[in-house]
Amino acid sequence: MSPHSHVSQLLASVLQREEEGERVTVLDVGPALPETVEFFANGPCSLHIADLFGALPLHPEEAGFAYREQWRDVLPLSAGTRFDICLFWDLFNYLSLPAASALLQVLRPHLHPETRGHAFGVHKRGMPENARIYGIGSADRLTLRPRRHPLPGYAPMPQAQLQAVLADFRFERSVLLADGRLEIVLGMKDEKGT
Amino acid sequence: MIGPGIHIKGTVTGDEDLLIQGKVEGTINLSDHEVVIGQSGKVTADIKAKTVKIDGEVTGDVSGIEKVVIAKSGRVRGNIVAPRVTLEDGAHFKGSIDMDPGDTRTAQAVPKIEKAVAAPANNANLGLDLKHG
Repeated sequence: MSPHSHVSQLLASVLQREEEGERVTVLDVGPALPETVEFFANGPCSLHIADLFGALPLHPEEAGFAYREQWRDVLPLSAGTRFDICLFWDLFNYLSLPAASALLQVLRPHLHPETRGHAFGVHKRGMPENARIYGIGSADRLTLRPRRHPLPGYAPMPQAQLQAVLADFRFERSVLLADGRLEIVLGMKDEKGT
Repeated sequence: MIGPGIHIKGTVTGDEDLLIQGKVEGTINLSDHEVVIGQSGKVTADIKAKTVKIDGEVTGDVSGIEKVVIAKSGRVRGNIVAPRVTLEDGAHFKGSIDMDPGDTRTAQAVPKIEKAVAAPANNANLGLDLKHG
């Protein structure tokens, strides 16, 4: 299955902090893809791959399953792990507000002031689903593969709500794509919250 | 070769390449040789070898002195450390991959990541670039 590609105006700004010889630690919340591994294999890298989409749908908290514990089960991280880059893809379009908040709580100890993130949101809440698997073809090109099975729980948040959920991050830049999705670069807020 | 009908529990060491088509639980240490986990191979063990090729199932940490290859039929749950790691299309992997091509004797020069470039005309972007304060 050969992937389509999407030229990204923003991806390079997420990846450019990797300078020659500098080790980076990366979180990819999608399934492992050959091109993503190959891309990061060009330099020293610790690539953590945890297909969080595969954990969907989460068990409802009302049934006694705390979201944080569910995330910790599928995203076991050692205490010393600090991510320089988080590749969230379109995961937040499939999470409820409390589930997304719980994920950020689990990740918080593993972020640092220079952490950068990449995500897709939507411009308007009613955007139809276009389920894809994302990979990195090059520093400015994403690969897109259709998902074989639909994902449960598609309920994208409007941008303002997403910003509120991702409270630790600031939206550095975003690009409105032709299909109504927003491609977003995330940086960490400083101590003043800006 | 460990055949499909063989089940080993313990430590596997030796002085030759190894093909595993059966089950191994424990530790595999063949630092100077190649270990291949065949399609019918099921390994629940930490593996250390010069090169590791995985066509079957592995649960455990894998250390490749030169490289690790997860083939399209391979399924790996664990952490990989190797100068070079290759994942074939269709392979399943969950865990972390620590790579450093500078560590291998045959390492190529590490290419710099390109700086941001303007989107070409056929890009699907609207070009509406929103900056946030």
